[in-house]
Amino acid sequence: MTPTYYLLLSALLFAIGAVGVLVRRNAIVVFMCIELMLNSVNLSLVTFARINGELDGQVMAFFVMVVAAAEVVVGLAIIMAIFRARRSASVDDTNLLKY
Amino acid sequence: MTSFSQAAVVLAQQGGEDVVGTGEAIAFWVLGPLALAGGLGMIFVRNAVHSALWLVVSMLSFGVLYIVQSAPFLGFTQIIVYTGAVMMLFLFVLMMAGRDSADSMVEVLRGQRLLAALFGIGFATLLVGALARSLVNVQAQVPPDPYDPARGGGAGGLGRLVFTDFLFAFELTAALLIVAALAGIVLAYRDRREGPKRSQRDLVEARFRGEYKRRSPQPGPGVFATGNSVATPALLPDGSIAPESLSELIESTNTARLIAEQDRVLGSQAEHDDSRALLAGEDEQGSEQEGERK
Amino acid sequence: MPQQFLAQGEQLQVPAIDFAAVLPILIVFGAASIGVLLEAFLPKHQRWSSQIALSLTGIVGAGIALAAYISDAPEGGITTFMAQGATTGAIAVDTPALFLWGTLLALGLASLLMIGDRSLEPGGAFISQAGLQSGGLQTREQANVTGMQTEIFPLTLFALGGMMTFVAANDLLTMFIALEVLSLPLYLMAGLARRRRLLSQEAAVKYFLLGAFASAFFLYGVALLYGYAGSVKLAEIAAATAGSSASDTLLYAGIGLVVVGLLFKGSVGPFHTWTPDVYQGAPTPVTGFMAACTKVAAFGGMLRVLTVAFEPASWEWEVPLWLIAVISMAIGAIFGLTQRDLKRMIAYSSIAHAGFLVVGAMTLTEDGLSSTLFYLLAYGFTTIAVFGVISLVRDANGEATDLSSWAGLAKRSPLVAGVFTFLLLALAGIPLTSGFIGKFAVFSAALADGNAALVVIALVASAVAAFFYLRVVVLMYFSEPAAEGPAVTVPGAFTTAAITLGTAATLVLGIVPAFALNWASAGGFVP
Repeated sequence: MTPTYYLLLSALLFAIGAVGVLVRRNAIVVFMCIELMLNSVNLSLVTFARINGELDGQVMAFFVMVVAAAEVVVGLAIIMAIFRARRSASVDDTNLLKY
Repeated sequence: MTSFSQAAVVLAQQGGEDVVGTGEAIAFWVLGPLALAGGLGMIFVRNAVHSALWLVVSMLSFGVLYIVQSAPFLGFTQIIVYTGAVMMLFLFVLMMAGRDSADSMVEVLRGQRLLAALFGIGFATLLVGALARSLVNVQAQVPPDPYDPARGGGAGGLGRLVFTDFLFAFELTAALLIVAALAGIVLAYRDRREGPKRSQRDLVEARFRGEYKRRSPQPGPGVFATGNSVATPALLPDGSIAPESLSELIESTNTARLIAEQDRVLGSQAEHDDSRALLAGEDEQGSEQEGERK
Repeated sequence: MPQQFLAQGEQLQVPAIDFAAVLPILIVFGAASIGVLLEAFLPKHQRWSSQIALSLTGIVGAGIALAAYISDAPEGGITTFMAQGATTGAIAVDTPALFLWGTLLALGLASLLMIGDRSLEPGGAFISQAGLQSGGLQTREQANVTGMQTEIFPLTLFALGGMMTFVAANDLLTMFIALEVLSLPLYLMAGLARRRRLLSQEAAVKYFLLGAFASAFFLYGVALLYGYAGSVKLAEIAAATAGSSASDTLLYAGIGLVVVGLLFKGSVGPFHTWTPDVYQGAPTPVTGFMAACTKVAAFGGMLRVLTVAFEPASWEWEVPLWLIAVISMAIGAIFGLTQRDLKRMIAYSSIAHAGFLVVGAMTLTEDGLSSTLFYLLAYGFTTIAVFGVISLVRDANGEATDLSSWAGLAKRSPLVAGVFTFLLLALAGIPLTSGFIGKFAVFSAALADGNAALVVIALVASAVAAFFYLRVVVLMYFSEPAAEGPAVTVPGAFTTAAITLGTAATLVLGIVPAFALNWASAGGFVP
């Protein structure tokens, strides 16, 4: 087994997250899919750090966690605000703006 | 923690040239499929809360995979911060907002799911294929020893990098965290507009000074009423509605929303799970427009 | 056990920091942080005035610091925040970065004036309490409450600081964090409109979800490039491209994903889907800020990444970018024709302009760089002024952005119609406006680089796009005004200043562009 398997796993999960974003309708679930994508990026970063035998990738993964945490706060606040207005978290219901 | 990560390091260093040892291989082949199952579970389960729980499975597996890959600090941060804090935040919001919101199976954009699935499979094949072909004989270097303070890995090494190579990025995250705090304040904070709370005596006096329209309480549903909710107006003896018993709040609320709430209370929603189905006519129009747009 | 290791630990060497060079960024972030403190400690009625004063002081101060630094900036630029033993630092301060900082500060000043305006709408364009449920009794009551969510000022400054960092970031990690610092406040600000709350919140959700999606792609690209080069520093990626043992697949996938993330921020088609919705739904001052400054930041970052990091691999990304430029111009020009809403129309116009900018950005010559920088400057000023004018035409429901309500505007207010016509002509690229000079510079640079086909397509696209600008002009001058049409509000000092600044810059850059072009071409990126 080589560390490549980790990269493949992470690529697969990234793709799964991307599909989830496109398929799911609930804004919160869509957001969770984005979190899955960020997590799989972290796995890649850690694995690359290991392959290179250094720590830079780990530090980057650490920063990604900080960024993701801040993003979660902002995102959930926005989603809650629109939920309170409409009683629905479905992205289909956000349809006032269109052609 | 110490013995665990040391064990991981030992495992990782087993086998001389090939730093990926048997123990790690076992860990990977157990946790990898588990993480994959978590991801797939998240996108295929209809209930949002279940999705979140599947995601937790994925994230926990990730955490352990980090530890196995001699990144113990990140592994524990992942479990504590991500799974512990971030996912709990998600669950909390889900419980407040979308607990009962199962995803509808109605496709608003026709063929979108199929396209998305094709995109996903294509993207995954491309990426995995390319990576698998390009990274055939990659060998991991021996990881820095987490317990060597000078050059080592682990939390100390991360800290060293944070304050040297990535100092500016680190300072920049401060701005990010302030913005996040501001977001919470801006979108959730409401200040109370009324002044000091009035006691019952103040209220009585205010009533008799004529600050309110009535001195007595509003009339109740009365003996002819069929229900005792505030939404049911009181009936006068001749069967007509007593106008003063109408709740201003309810009368001024949007009718469509009231009907929707009623439907929800009565449970008639079970027939049409899709919340948009309540406004059937409009909805179809909308999706047709979107279909055309596609 | 830990004590023993701590005792052994070496002394950390703080990276070398050239404070004078990064002072503008520090001032902007510092002003933003003080703004947050003001929010916490000042009573409500004092906040607006003190926030305005603080923000304007901050931006002007940053401008002064920038000017002072430029007067004796080292030739060829420097990088700072350099760790011991490293070859480059995290922030590059070179001519393009300084030019973009100046541009961002000037545009930020104009946007801030529009954001702070309270004359057009009692209390300003922003809701006084976003926490209240929209559509309810409370909100209606609240529409009469004057006052606004003054947190908008620190948020604007944070976004501005993020943009300034973004265009100067010399490694991809700093770039990613700067991307988030500039995006998160914008997501929030898009949802704070006083009128049409639901539209505004919807814009915020869409912008947020798509923005986060795109930044995940950007990040995956960063990870792959890290795997390829063993470092995220732009210079080291370029060095690794010349001779790395790692597979080139990582490089190509990484470049692709990173560029997609950047194109998304620059609202380049086909990654533009958020643009019309967000431009329409967000409060108009925020739309102006986004349209001008975000575009400058996104393309500034893209220029740096393409030139410094990906230039050795340019034959690999030239064809895809070529296609993307064409698609973006086509989408902008064709869909712009069908729009009924003025803000949406300008959004499609910005997509077309993004296509022109890609033409400039993929031209990796000195002329390509300087012309793209000039284009960003010119386009930013024009756009801000356009959104300023749009915010003036109002009816009982707030801004009247439907095209039909602009019919016959010249008869109601010749001045506003005249200014708007001038700005639209600048967007279309008619001579004597900055738009013409910008387009001319970019296209001639691309032509010199041997991209004749692309230039021809771009010329066709600008001719098509000119048609929909002219349609508005015709509508304003040769139609009868509707009986109950909107009124043109007389703007207060702030919006007047912003529109005047934008219009004057459009005119000046159109007539005597030499000084800006010279500055833009004074030097390239620090390697």
